[in-house]
Amino acid sequence: MSDTRREKSSSPASPAPRGGKAIGRASDRGGSVERPIDPERAARRRFRVDESTRVPVLTFFTGGAFWLLAGSILALLASIKLHTPEFLDGASWLTFGRVRPAHLNTMIYGWASPTGIGVILWLTARLAKAELRFPRLLVAAAVVWNVAVLWGTIGILRGEGTSIEWIEFPPYVPPLLVLAFSIVALSVATTFHDRGEAHVYVSQWYIFGAIFWFPWLYTVVELLMVYRPMAGSPQASVNWWFAHNVLGLWLTPIGLATIYYLIPKVLGRPVHSYYLSIVGFWSLALFYNWAGAHHLIGGPVPAWLVTVSIVASMMMLIPVGTVAINHHFTMVGRFAILKYSPTLRFIVFGAMSYTAVSVQGSFQSLRDWNEVTHFTHYTIAHAHLGVYSFFTMTMFGALYYIMPRLTRWEWASARLIRVHFWGTAGGMAIYWIGLTWGGVLQGAAMNDPKVPFLDIVKMMIPYLWSRSLAGVLMTTGHVAFAALFTMNMLHLGKRRYEPTLLDDPREYARLIASPPAWEETPAS
Amino acid sequence: MTLNYIVFAASALLFGGSAVVALAWAMRKGQLENFQRGATSIFDADEPIGRVTDSFPGQKPKPAGGATKRS
Amino acid sequence: MNHAATIFVGVMLTFASAWLGLVFLPYVQLGNIEPAAIEGSTDAYPKPLGGLAARGRGVYIAGGCVYCHTQQIRPEGFGADIERGWGPRRTVARDYMYDRPHLMGTNRTGPDLANIGARQPSSKWHHLHLYNPRITSPGSVMPSFRYLYEKRKITGERSRLALELPEEWKPESGYEIVPTDEALALVAYLQALDHTTPLKEAETP
Ligand code: HEM
Ligand code: HEM
Repeated sequence: MSDTRREKSSSPASPAPRGGKAIGRASDRGGSVERPIDPERAARRRFRVDESTRVPVLTFFTGGAFWLLAGSILALLASIKLHTPEFLDGASWLTFGRVRPAHLNTMIYGWASPTGIGVILWLTARLAKAELRFPRLLVAAAVVWNVAVLWGTIGILRGEGTSIEWIEFPPYVPPLLVLAFSIVALSVATTFHDRGEAHVYVSQWYIFGAIFWFPWLYTVVELLMVYRPMAGSPQASVNWWFAHNVLGLWLTPIGLATIYYLIPKVLGRPVHSYYLSIVGFWSLALFYNWAGAHHLIGGPVPAWLVTVSIVASMMMLIPVGTVAINHHFTMVGRFAILKYSPTLRFIVFGAMSYTAVSVQGSFQSLRDWNEVTHFTHYTIAHAHLGVYSFFTMTMFGALYYIMPRLTRWEWASARLIRVHFWGTAGGMAIYWIGLTWGGVLQGAAMNDPKVPFLDIVKMMIPYLWSRSLAGVLMTTGHVAFAALFTMNMLHLGKRRYEPTLLDDPREYARLIASPPAWEETPAS
Repeated sequence: MTLNYIVFAASALLFGGSAVVALAWAMRKGQLENFQRGATSIFDADEPIGRVTDSFPGQKPKPAGGATKRS
Repeated sequence: MNHAATIFVGVMLTFASAWLGLVFLPYVQLGNIEPAAIEGSTDAYPKPLGGLAARGRGVYIAGGCVYCHTQQIRPEGFGADIERGWGPRRTVARDYMYDRPHLMGTNRTGPDLANIGARQPSSKWHHLHLYNPRITSPGSVMPSFRYLYEKRKITGERSRLALELPEEWKPESGYEIVPTDEALALVAYLQALDHTTPLKEAETP
């Protein structure tokens, strides 16, 4: 690669392709998978498609990485304040009740969503085999989005938050988010329209779901709870309809779309059962919607509603099962690659966590279980198993794959990737074990009226400390990741011509050079 | 009040309707047939199925000749 | 694809019903509740919050109290909310009919507050507790809300509102701690939190 090329590729002003051109438009009749026979043309096309996404996608990622760090600091503050309340107390804007929603909102709307949007944009272009549309507008959207998150976070810290869980941003923020999002949706739809690939891959289904559901959920909940608030307990039901669906119909489809693309892609092996993956998509769309009221078990909402939600939660075992089976059997025989590939290691960690969090979720929505764990730290552990262990780890994996293809620069250091992985994975394990265990004890004690409440508070202290320890490990991982991210963006470190692997590259080369040894193993 | 009812009705139509449109489209276009071919649609001609492809993306394929094997 | 139409109608209904069921039906079923007449009096329950308490609700929201405190009593036999003395009966939709936004909460890092006004009517206690929870509740992890209080130099009379702090929490002599308007409003709100009035639809065990 000549230096001129490098300069060109790293300059943000490099010609963003105007309006995506279909590259080899597919025939109209679907199903007929048109492949350019010429491998060279195919590679060149893929390169152009990636190029077209570079500036907007990297802008979204950069915002995400920033908010990941900001959200981690807020998380640590919140976590420490729960066992050492004197820590930095006194200032109104640092009180737990503001830092905590600031943490949630920076992580969900600052880190998870924009990173997810970046991945969606890249995936859409890749799957459509067409250049991404409206790259400049998308950059503007990313800027608006991040300004909105910044503004909203400051608003929460100033005490202007709504105290409605999951939509704490003050009322002046949502219109900006919706505006930015509509550009994203427009770009996805038009890029899809230009597609040079007739088949609509399962990831694209999930992406459409996410792109369609999110603005709907978000505008409706803002309308019914903030701008024209309805009163009383129906609010709770709308609140949790939203908060539950934003996980299940926004973050989850993005995560699954990523996993469904990247596991097969990295392994070079089609997904085990494509049929199951489609069944999974439709059953998710059907059941998830009904499940929201399982956040209100025992609450002042109609009993039938809660019952229906519990049933739907159990039905969720179907889509979750299809995903778990599919991912597992796609991986079978290839688990050895987890030792080497950063992408695969994070993604598979995320995929397994998806199964874990969902199965946990289904069972904790049963009345007997919920009676103990509702209102306790157990729920917080479940929440992070979902948004962290599943979604965040999946996004990390996706970034490890996507970034070098956009920046044309390999990851600078395998050691930092290892710090990132073990910090986050180890931290997450401590987080989950500590709070799940603590939460069950907390719930059991709370249901025993003989135990004074303050004794329960004191009993929880060690478990809350374990979360702070976990938080330090996870934040260390995030700092390592941010360092890698920055080096990658700026082309720092040694120029590499080989992938950065987590273990001996020669062994890896041997492993993948002899496909039959692991290609012909069980279940394929 | 009325606004709320409009939101409810419009949402129901939008949500249910879009699912129907999506499903109808998928069936008409044959998206729900021949699953195995669908599964391989993410691989390009230069990405032999059965080979691990998570490696450094390499360089821009030169305009003439010598596309990289990796990517 | 002979059954296409049936399938499509089915899909449409399934999808739309989830939304209608979770959002629309609760709205219809619970959105138009009226206050209940209280037996043997001309009063009705619930009543909208008065001015100061309503402002206090805003302080409660701005301080994010909802992240550690629920305001809902689960029914008898489901958890031990009633046995703990958090309330004489479960809370029902009618209790919340004036709440915008709802503040039911999902986490009990601290105890439930649905009836804190009835359980702890003393404003003195509340001010001490908010100023520093460790004064009234040793071992509590609740943040102190010192920013709702002012340290003032005593000029002439001691303020009527000044906190009567125990020795180790006192400011240096010549100074006193007085609640701001926000603290007064918040305490008024806490004192107004009372869902103990019996209701037909919620048996008192
Ligand atoms: C089949 C799938 C799932 C079911 C049935 C389920 C069930 C539940 C239930 C019943 C609760 C409420 C617990 C309580 O308050 O007592 C809950 C909370 C939560 N779940 Fe799940 N879950 C599932 C999957 C997921 C996934 C995939 C994620 C993340 C992407 C997730 C993230 C969360 C979060 C963040 C909360 C806490 C919400 C809050 O209180 O703010 N769950 N889940
Ligand atoms: C550095 C790692 C992290 C730490 C130490 C941490 C810590 C915390 C703490 C202390 C809380 C408040 C718990 C409570 O109210 O009792 C919390 C809540 C939450 N955090 Fe995190 N967090 C971390 C990372 C993340 C990430 C990456 C996300 C999202 C992508 C996230 C999403 C959430 C959510 C959704 C809640 C609300 C949970 C609920 O309501 O049930 N966190 N976290």
